[in-house]
Amino acid sequence: MSRVDRKVRRRLLGAASAFGVLFAAACSSGGNSTVADGDLPAEIKVVSVTDQTGTTAYVGNSQLRGIELAIQEINDQEYLGDSKIVLQKRDSASDTQTAVSQATEALTDKSVSALLGPVLSAHAVAIAPLVERAGLPTIFTQSGSEGVVIGDYTYRATAPMETYFVKALERLQQQGVETVSVLYNAGNVTLAGLGEKTIPEGQDKYGYRILSSTSVQATTQDFGTTATKIAGENPDAVIVLLVGAGNSTAMSQLRQAGYTGPVVGNPAAGAGNLAPAGAAGAGMYWATDFSFHQKDETSQQFVEAYRAKYNGENPLNYAAEGYDATWMLAHAAKNSGGASRDDLQRGLEQVVAEGFDGALGPVRFEGNDMRVDGVLVEWNGTEEVLLDGQESTE
Amino acid sequence: MSDFYFSNIVLIQSTFTVLLLALSIQIQFRMGVFSFAGAAFYGMGSYGTAIFVLHYGFDAISATAAIVAICAVTGYLLSLILQRLTGLYLAMATVAFVMIVTVVAHNGGELTGGSVGLFGVLTTPEISVPHLAVVCAVVVAAMIFSERGSMGRRIEAVREDPELASAMGINVARYRRMSFVISGVLGALGGALNILMMTAIAPENIGFPLIVLALTIIIVGGSRSWLGVLIGALIFTWLPVMLEQVGTYQSIVYGIIVAIAAIFMPGGITGVVTDLYRRRAARRDSAALEDEAEAERRADAADDEAAAELGAELAGTGAHSAPTGESR
Amino acid sequence: MSQLVIDALVLGSIYLLFCLGMSISWGTIDILNFAHGGIFMFSAFVASQIVSNVGLGLVTVCLISVVVGAALSAAIDVFAFQPILRRAKNQRTAELQILIGGIGIGTIPVAIVQFRTLSEPFGFLGSSYETSVYTLGGLRLTSTGLIVLGCALILTLAISFWLKNTSHGLALRAIGVDSETAELMGVKRRQLSLLTMAVSGGLAGLAGALLTYNLGAITAESGETLLIKAFAIIILGGVGSTGGAALGAMVLAFSEVLVLRYTGGGWVDAVGFGLILVVLLLRPQGIFGRKEVRRV
Repeated sequence: MSRVDRKVRRRLLGAASAFGVLFAAACSSGGNSTVADGDLPAEIKVVSVTDQTGTTAYVGNSQLRGIELAIQEINDQEYLGDSKIVLQKRDSASDTQTAVSQATEALTDKSVSALLGPVLSAHAVAIAPLVERAGLPTIFTQSGSEGVVIGDYTYRATAPMETYFVKALERLQQQGVETVSVLYNAGNVTLAGLGEKTIPEGQDKYGYRILSSTSVQATTQDFGTTATKIAGENPDAVIVLLVGAGNSTAMSQLRQAGYTGPVVGNPAAGAGNLAPAGAAGAGMYWATDFSFHQKDETSQQFVEAYRAKYNGENPLNYAAEGYDATWMLAHAAKNSGGASRDDLQRGLEQVVAEGFDGALGPVRFEGNDMRVDGVLVEWNGTEEVLLDGQESTE
Repeated sequence: MSDFYFSNIVLIQSTFTVLLLALSIQIQFRMGVFSFAGAAFYGMGSYGTAIFVLHYGFDAISATAAIVAICAVTGYLLSLILQRLTGLYLAMATVAFVMIVTVVAHNGGELTGGSVGLFGVLTTPEISVPHLAVVCAVVVAAMIFSERGSMGRRIEAVREDPELASAMGINVARYRRMSFVISGVLGALGGALNILMMTAIAPENIGFPLIVLALTIIIVGGSRSWLGVLIGALIFTWLPVMLEQVGTYQSIVYGIIVAIAAIFMPGGITGVVTDLYRRRAARRDSAALEDEAEAERRADAADDEAAAELGAELAGTGAHSAPTGESR
Repeated sequence: MSQLVIDALVLGSIYLLFCLGMSISWGTIDILNFAHGGIFMFSAFVASQIVSNVGLGLVTVCLISVVVGAALSAAIDVFAFQPILRRAKNQRTAELQILIGGIGIGTIPVAIVQFRTLSEPFGFLGSSYETSVYTLGGLRLTSTGLIVLGCALILTLAISFWLKNTSHGLALRAIGVDSETAELMGVKRRQLSLLTMAVSGGLAGLAGALLTYNLGAITAESGETLLIKAFAIIILGGVGSTGGAALGAMVLAFSEVLVLRYTGGGWVDAVGFGLILVVLLLRPQGIFGRKEVRRV
């Protein structure tokens, strides 16, 4: 290595260290004050870490809309007196490490009272032990896997799909379905759980028999082979558990293969994902934790408020979940009379013990994990509608 | 200052582990072995450590040591299997190896946690930044050793002209095999430390994105030296944080930066800075040369004058001997 | 069982259409273009944006996609790959930089489309083309599948002919073997390079449009998953051989279909990677590839 190279190395190293020190000095946050117990400060700081960009952007953005609507209502109604909730939004860009880093920043910042957590299970399982150890109350939405709700400071404002998926299985039984073929995405933990456990275990209880069960990867885009196989089996019903574009592709290919019967899906078929299939998509129905059609009074109030704030748009279930998660925090602060981390944790204990009526309808909890009744919706080819013949929830 | 440290501790940790990942690939490039196996070893390091801790109750040190040993051996075996491949074909084969590791992680059932991966990897002793720093310092010291003196020259020979190196008595094949083993050790080390810090690993954290990250670090930082890799690791760990301010366009900006670096900075940042220094040194040298030439000319002219004067004096006194000493 | 054959043929044709562009540029001018997936998807996206306002037919949509793909690819060649080649010190660093440059540039169209669609799928809903299903003796083929098969067949033959029998093709192959000598013999490398990249991009655009019609909808990330399969195919068939790419595509498609049919779907991707490894270990130049002298 020449003398020039060595000189360059030394200068660069020097520059890098100087830059590092300057950068660190510039970025250090100047003494944030901790919130004392029993104290409702003028500003209650809440941080949200979710995906505003990247592959799950539509989930995170919808969740944020629900959160911001809730905060606006809480502050406008002066639900916490003179205290206002202030939201700091962080974008984890669908990257686990970014999510963990942003959650770490939130929990080391003493002035932050609570965290509204990410939507992806992969992010949630990495963040859960950290916030639990630091004692930062965190409410996750979606994030359906194990290892998320692990202690007193972790909560989930989305009922795990298997708790309301059974509504669809009940419907199969009502329709007298005896044979079923299954196609599911094994790369998604929730759908894999349904495909590998919930559906096989439901055979005796709901009176159907599984003819075949095909698992595909998250990256699979073409289902022609499986569609042919399923059509050939001629089942009474088909269960398709896929995410995103797969739903419309699978429906098209099933219809092209000659299968005309009913198809049970999952909430990922919502949000217009079936639209590209056109008429072929009609007839898919699924159980979801929220539909903007559902008749509960508190749900409809939420839908109206959402439409008013967001130009007539209809809320997705992610928005309802974010909304209820935020209101949980507000109820907690009111219950305990304070906004310190321990105050909120105590207040949340009360919230989950009592349950409440929110955007998702009547909400109960099992431990710190939410439970809702759920509702069946159907895609009729152009839009989502409530499935006929359901008992309306009181 | 300590606020900054704790608040950004994840990024600081990540800088170290990513440095190890990038070094594990760069060390092979420096020996002329176009291989991305380091990314596979990083994935194996993370998953292996997690499996040892969660399923077999290992503690941090023994889990790390175990998986590093396994990856070193795997590296050696891989080098034997792939010994006939070079260039782009070798690269493709190692990429396939990385992808197969990812598929196994996806399909490993209970062992690897399927698509969620493994989480809750908490064990003793608790590894933190000082440990990371010490490990990286040792590795960097080894890299410095490998870049200087006779070892540095030998490695360069193996890369630039393997036939010549062979003729000089260097066992090129052995260097190639060693590069896989070293890559295995560094990659596994990075992966193990990574999961001990993050406590969770999923299939999407390993595989192709790691290859892309390591490549961009090496290209932008500079592929010849550990310092280039360090600069690259710093930039690409902290750039997303700075770009967050840009908001929704951050990934576009990221892609543009990488593209510009690849097009306009072939030697990476260290290359650019080295070039600047060389040009300045060359200008100084050539300026110095010019001054010297000027001084010489003046000296010559002074000599001529002196000679002429002396000649005039001598001519005046009638002496016949020529002052230049030439006799015809 | 024979339905499986038809499904595999259609799948293979889609892979082949995607690959052809990459195979051409890699096999002749040595550019391994990692932005190919991004170009493929972006062309389809632009077409889908236009179609959502104006109800166009299949041919027009494909044409739009082809033009966008060709233009995008040519631009990338002019602004990125050519400058890299000019500045590179040797062939190896040039290859590496084109690789990275392609990766970096490839993220830009994906990011743009992710931003515009929020990662939701997009398709050609407004198009006036409706797919119909043909059945013959229990076997089923959609009209889109037929078009895909037809395009793949025609284009493979056409390109193969072009490379072997026309002067352009000959010049391209000369560049692939020894670019310096070729230039000395009067081959205008830069113009031919631009033409090749444009054709490659056009093929990517066509593949994008047809795949979107076939699946109904794609997402911003759809191109990336196909990239690795394209490598497997080109390595299997041999770099620089169009017939090899066709064979490779069919082999991959059939293997995947069989694996999916008879085992769990989780191992389908492994088929491609396993094939790459096996081929590289046993016969690195692929089935029809030429024995490379320079591959160091």
